[in-house]
Amino acid sequence: MLGKGDHHQPQEEEEDTGGVVKLISAEGFEFVIDKKAAMVSNTLRNMLTSPGGFSETRQGEVRFPEIPTHILEKICQYFYWSLHYSSGKETAEFPIEPEITLELMMAANYLDT
Amino acid sequence: MSGGGPPRKRNFKIEAFKHRVELDPKYAERTWKVLEHAIHEIYNHNASGLSFEELYRSAYNMVLHKYGEKLYDGLQNTMTWRLKEISKSIEAAQGGLFLEELNAKWKDHNKALQMIRDILMYMDRTYVPSFHRTPVHELGLNLWRDHIIHSPMILSRLLDTLLDLIHRERMGEVINRGLMRSITKMLMDLGPAVYQDDFEKPFLAVSASFYSGESQEFIECCDCGNYLKKAERRLNEEMERVSHYLDAGSEAKITSVVEKEMIANHMHRLVHMENSGLVNMLVDDKYRDLGRMYALFRRVPDGLSTIRDVMTSYLRETGKQLVMDPESLKDPVEFVQRLLNEKDKHDKIISVAFGNDKTFQNALNSSFEYFINLNNRSPEFISLYVDDKLRKGLKGATEEDVEVILDKVMMLFRYLQEKDVFEKYYKQHLAKRLLSGKTISDDAERSMIVKLKTECGYQFTSKLEGMFTDMKTSQDTMLDFYAKKSEELGDGPTLDVHILTTGSWPTQPSPPCNLPTEILTVCEKFRAYYLGTHNGRRLTWQTNMGTADIKATFGKGQKHELNVSTYQMCVLMLFNNADGLTYKDIERDTEIPASDLKRCLQSLACVKGKNVLRKEPMSKDISEDDTFYFNDKFTSKLVKVKIGTVVAQKESEPEKQGDPPTG
Repeated sequence: MLGKGDHHQPQEEEEDTGGVVKLISAEGFEFVIDKKAAMVSNTLRNMLTSPGGFSETRQGEVRFPEIPTHILEKICQYFYWSLHYSSGKETAEFPIEPEITLELMMAANYLDT
Repeated sequence: MSGGGPPRKRNFKIEAFKHRVELDPKYAERTWKVLEHAIHEIYNHNASGLSFEELYRSAYNMVLHKYGEKLYDGLQNTMTWRLKEISKSIEAAQGGLFLEELNAKWKDHNKALQMIRDILMYMDRTYVPSFHRTPVHELGLNLWRDHIIHSPMILSRLLDTLLDLIHRERMGEVINRGLMRSITKMLMDLGPAVYQDDFEKPFLAVSASFYSGESQEFIECCDCGNYLKKAERRLNEEMERVSHYLDAGSEAKITSVVEKEMIANHMHRLVHMENSGLVNMLVDDKYRDLGRMYALFRRVPDGLSTIRDVMTSYLRETGKQLVMDPESLKDPVEFVQRLLNEKDKHDKIISVAFGNDKTFQNALNSSFEYFINLNNRSPEFISLYVDDKLRKGLKGATEEDVEVILDKVMMLFRYLQEKDVFEKYYKQHLAKRLLSGKTISDDAERSMIVKLKTECGYQFTSKLEGMFTDMKTSQDTMLDFYAKKSEELGDGPTLDVHILTTGSWPTQPSPPCNLPTEILTVCEKFRAYYLGTHNGRRLTWQTNMGTADIKATFGKGQKHELNVSTYQMCVLMLFNNADGLTYKDIERDTEIPASDLKRCLQSLACVKGKNVLRKEPMSKDISEDDTFYFNDKFTSKLVKVKIGTVVAQKESEPEKQGDPPTG
């Protein structure tokens, strides 16, 4: 795990949703990812496309007081994995360490992803 | 809990949330309050200060901890309360602003609804299906429908406003179509039932009474053509209206209203309108009006059949008058030409205005079939028409033109019931044309035969074709005859024989007459020659069919060449040996039958300009006591004088040629 600060993920796909969004974990770690990756989560997609200008869209960042850093990191990895393999060209398993499974599931449920 | 064993896996504890969530109702109530506040803020256009995540999480928590029902009910109540407030503000709107206010609030509501649904997504996904509640978005629409649209103050006002605007647009005003579009779209979004029951049904009813009134007004003051123009215009208007601001499903319904009120209800009156109805349009070739009528009437049941029936009875009536008119019977060629003109006229109408509709073609055909056969001389007249064309009418015409005319004639031919009568006359006329050499084009003749053959089969035309063959064969025979026998014949009269196969040609029995000696000699030579080459045949001279060219010298030495019939030749030759002869002398010497002889003498002695004989007494008719003298004093401006035979009946006989000169 890297220390505090920006944690850039490799950019797998083109940025055609224009821009990035910052996800902040419970401990305050900031993950900057492409909007396209974030939209893998239906909840995040709704959030980012909802009309009416909630504070998140205006500031371009979302805080998750309930999601621990290591889970959030895993989730970001999942977003990119999903984008990469959604084209169906290759398949690979998404590695999940057993000890984080439950937390990951709950976060996934929360984020509808 | 650490212990023995490899420290590879760390033991995990399940701690769902960092922040402890309490499960008591008070917490639920507080959480709800947060959401309730948010909903109000959203409706107040104040969402910018809100955190999506926080609200989402609050809803998530409530549902997770089994407070879904509270959340849902709370949502429902809050929205309902909100909508009631909105309803009051809409009701308060003045006059023209009513629709705009409604539209604006609808837009707001939609936006708010979406935001609310987004933050309550978890509930929508999990609680709603499990407990069979209406999803949020649908709930929002239903509440709008119930508390706004169906609020008594608003519903009637909405409908009245919409209908009033439509009425004004129909009367020529310009209205805000965009606004109309939004409103009708709103109604459709609320459910097709809302659109149909709250708007479309009353709309159709009002439209029906509008058009009923308007059509009544128009039909009193407009002629048929103008009325149809107006109807068409209204129809197009309605279709355009639908495309701009009504739901597409309304198109068929409103057009059917207009069709019924403006067209179907007035069909008969329009078609039979005096001075401007269907018959007048047909007579005056009003293609555009007819086309319009066709297009409009097509839309209503029995529309086209109404047009067709009136057209048919008109055709039958005019056709009948045409064929029964005693004037036109005097000139067969004109008679047929008028029929062809009628056919052309109506063909064009059907093609230009009625889109080549087959049923109309059929009606035209059946009408022609009906009246052409009312006159039993139609077959004869059609044959005479062709005869005229092939003799002179088509002179100088191109091959195409010939084909066109013949094809048109064939169309009339097809209508004939008595086709064999036609064949009989055609044969007669053809024989005459062939024997007198008076056909303008062999190709045209043959083309006609081919068409008849195609239409009626080989049997029908076999004799006609035989006639052509005979003509050709005769030519070859004559060439051969003169080639072989020229020395023998010397300076005798020149003979041109057409050998007609009995059975192919229409012949009448020909009693023999006495030919002059010179002629007889050369005729017998030909007979000998012919029978020499053709065994088992019999030749009979048709003396009633021939012609002769005679050179005659008159009193002062003027020479003329006379073209006469065979009978006339026999009579004239007698005067080589005598200056005067009585009727009885002539009859005895020539043995020509009495009626033919009388006509023959009449044409030689009683016709001005052609009187090569002088009769005593100078009466008009031939009597058996008359005496005839060679007319020394005969004069004519022409060198070659054709002396026809006075015609006894309409059907004149075909002729056979012979050229004996005499001095």
